[in-house]
Parts: sequence; C-alpha cells; structure tokens
Amino acid sequence: MSEALSRRSLLRLSGLSALAVAATGGLAACGNDTSALSGNQTDVSAYDQIIADGPVADEAAVAASPWATKIKESGTLRMGGSDAGPLFSMKDPATGKLTGFDAGLAQLLSHYITGKADGPIALTISTVDTRETLIQNGTVDVVVATYSITPQRAEKVAFAGPYYRSGDAVMIKADTTGISGVQDLDGKTVATQQGSTAADRITKVAPGAKVSLFPDDAQCLAALKTDRVDAYVIDQSILISNASTDDTVKVVGEPFSDDYYGIGLTRDDATAKEFVNTFLTEIFSGGAWLNMWKATIGTVVTGEEPKPPEIGSAPGS
Amino acid sequence: MVEVLRDNLGALWGGVVTTLEITAMAFVGAVVVGVLVAVFRVSPIPPLRALGAVYVELFRNVPLLSLLILTAYGLPYLGVDLSLFTTAVVCLLLVSASFTCEAVRAGINGVPVGQAEAARAIGMTFTQSLAGVILPQALRTMVQPLVNIFIGVVLGSSMAAAVAVPELTYTAQQIGNETAESMLMFVISAIVYIVIALLGGATGSVLERRLAVRR
Repeated sequence: MSEALSRRSLLRLSGLSALAVAATGGLAACGNDTSALSGNQTDVSAYDQIIADGPVADEAAVAASPWATKIKESGTLRMGGSDAGPLFSMKDPATGKLTGFDAGLAQLLSHYITGKADGPIALTISTVDTRETLIQNGTVDVVVATYSITPQRAEKVAFAGPYYRSGDAVMIKADTTGISGVQDLDGKTVATQQGSTAADRITKVAPGAKVSLFPDDAQCLAALKTDRVDAYVIDQSILISNASTDDTVKVVGEPFSDDYYGIGLTRDDATAKEFVNTFLTEIFSGGAWLNMWKATIGTVVTGEEPKPPEIGSAPGS
Repeated sequence: MVEVLRDNLGALWGGVVTTLEITAMAFVGAVVVGVLVAVFRVSPIPPLRALGAVYVELFRNVPLLSLLILTAYGLPYLGVDLSLFTTAVVCLLLVSASFTCEAVRAGINGVPVGQAEAARAIGMTFTQSLAGVILPQALRTMVQPLVNIFIGVVLGSSMAAAVAVPELTYTAQQIGNETAESMLMFVISAIVYIVIALLGGATGSVLERRLAVRR
C-alpha cells in the first residue's frame, strides 16, 4: 500500500495529462487541413453580386439620421446575428464567409449606408438571451437574426420591418406514422429552438403537446433523430433545408403560423427605424429582396415566389 | 419587472426544484463513486489502480458539455436510451466523481504513513486499515475540498439547460425570452445559485467543526 500511495503515482498522473494535452493539440492541428466541407448551398458569386447591385442611400438621407451617419463614418455595419443558422446566417468554416438571407440583408444595408460594394459587416454572435441587451448597450447597430417581432420585445428595442413572414411547419422522422400536421401533435413531445416563438403557438393548436427547447437547429435535429422527441417545429424553410440533405426525416403538413421577422434597432434614435424601413421599402420594390431570397431560402423552397410583408404590419413593428 | 417575477414564480420554482434534484443525485452519486474509485487507485491490485487512473483521466478531461451532447445524442445510436434528466445526472455524476476521487486520494495521502504501517503491524488487512484507520481520518480533511466539488456540481447543473432539461437556467432563459427580460432572469438565477452554494458551504463548515478531532 505504501508503494501505491507514494508520490510516484502523482508523477505518473502529470505525465498522463501532458500526453492528453499533446494528443488534443495534434488533433486540432489536423483539423485545419480537413475542413473542405461547405456549409451552404449558396452560390457565393451570385450572392455577392446581389449585394453589389443593391441600392445606395443618398448623402442627404444618411446625413439626416445620426444613427446612419455614425455607421457611414465607421465604414462597417456592426451586426448581431448567428453563424450557425442554415439558410439565414451561416458561416462556411472553410472560407469564413457568412451567407444567408439575414446576413445578406445586413450586407445590403451596409452597402446602402456605406456605399461600399462588398457591404462590410462585423458580426457579433447574438443569442436569444443577449439580443435586446446588445442593442440597448450599443454593442451592435442592428440585430438581423430571425428575430420575431413581439410587443414585449418592442418595449426594449425598435423593430424595422417586418422583412420576412415565417411559417412554422412540422418535421418528423421518415418512418413515423400518425403525424400529418400540427393538429396531430397533441400528447406528443416536440422540439423547437430556444428563442423561437413556436413554443407558444404549438400549445395553442395542440394543447397536450410537450415542448422541449434546444439551443440550435443541429441539436433539435439530433433530438428528433434519436427519438427524444416525436417532432421538430420551426420555420418551414429551415426544415426543408434539413430534409433536402437528410432522407431520414421529412416535413409534413402546411405552415400553421405567421411569424414576422424584424430588424432590431435602438429605441434611443427614432431615425434608425425610419431609415431602415426606407431601406427595406427600396429593396422590396427594387428586387434585391426577392433576389436575396432566391439565392438563399429559394434554393430549397419550391413553389410561388414570396411577396414582401407590409412594413409596420406586425404588432410591435 | 415585478410583474414578470410574479407571473413566472411558479415556473421558476419548478426550475429551482429540478436544479436541486440534479445537484443532490449527482453529488451523492459522485461521492460514492469517487470514494470507490479512490479506493481502486490506492489499492494494492495493479489492474484496479489502472482502472481508477483511466476513469479519472477520462472524465476529468472531457468538457461536461461534450459529455452531455455525446450521451444525449450519441448513446441512443448504441441502443442506450436515457431520459434527458437522467443524462444530465449521470454526466455530472461521472465528471464530479473524478474530482471527488482525487480529493479523497489527496486526503488519504495526507494521513501519515505511520498510521497505515501501524495498522498493518497489528495484523489489519488492506480493507480493514482503509475502512477503520485511513478513511475516517482522511474524510475529516476532505470537507472543504468536497464543498468545492459540491459547488462545482451546483454550477455544473446549469449545463443541463443545453440538452433541454428544465432546470433553473433553462427556465430562466425561457422566461427571459418570452418576456424580453433576459438579463433580469440571469441576475435572478445567479442569486439562486449563490444561495444554494452558500448553503452548501455553511453545511460544510458545520460538518468540519463537528468532525474535528479534539486533541
């Protein structure tokens, strides 16, 4: 026993940890060479062209808004958003390029204000917990992050838009039977993303559904595929995107809700909301909005082209 | 602000209860498993010592979040279906047990080697000397390290939110999201964690005084 209790075991221990550290370091180094995977189906050059072709605000309009003037002077739009949201805002790990409908709109806005062809943005990752705070304390100029407009949130931040109408749909495993839409979710367990407003609406349509909130799309999908939940509810386009690359899951029924996404802005400067609403009106009518939709969400969603929602139509906008 | 609190007090309390349940189960389990692994690590049987060492190095060096995700979404592929609550308890237990083991081992090593020699000299077996002589003395010096581990379990239980276990952090995030009062909810949950941890610390101090050997 005295041998076992000796200090040598301590030495052995530290040797082992050193080995573990070396091993992880080695793995990390390998990781850099193998990341040839592309995270998005977006055609990057066409996408960049839409931003370069987008409208630019005239000097007077920028000068009239202290909010826009400050952004123009800094040359970059500080955006709060995600880098892990398929179709909306996703970073390609190989190139580091952020693409998606939300990211594209932020770049169009940056282009609109700064006049720079590439629409420079500086991304701060925002979560459902931090979105309001990042705007309120001035860390970011805008939050474009599948940000549902709600009256509660509108007390903290201003919402320009809405710029997108989201409809939640239902995804199940391909071999699941007995669920053909949201009405069948009574008594079932349902995954959705933290911060999505879907949880409320599911229980309105199917009061007996048990809703679990997971941090992001990847985990919701994992929960569905490992039978932790019976269904996954989120914006239909995200579900279609998932199903397009994974045939063990499928989307059932039609979208059952109307959820409006807005661009989150400070309430301290009323010109910000006015300015961004003017921007949205211009990209709605000029075609940049539809082109951006086609380049991102439109790559997976088939059927009719969407019509832009009416500015100010959502309660809270 | 007061309204937000009043309307959601029931939900928040539910979260606190779940946090306490996870903490209690994981901590008690961690002490049991930790002592067992520590006994392995000081035993005279080499394979047991190796097993103990592998256990500690494995669970001490994997981030709790990785372990949670792997257990929650990886094990079902191997046919092991634990509920998410059980997943959280098991992962927290396994990780905390590795730290408990090392605290126990440090406690054992802190007992003067003469004690073990004396026990052996009067004919005690390994088990007898460990249970009757070494561990009772070692456990006394381990109260504060165990309080640290307890606090680690309390705070670590918040990671369960990442796999949708409705404990305090999860509930606070959910309420914060619905009411747009995220920062307020984080402040409230921080206060609750502090209170739980302080209660743990106070219990530790009482235990330490009770257990102290009067010389």
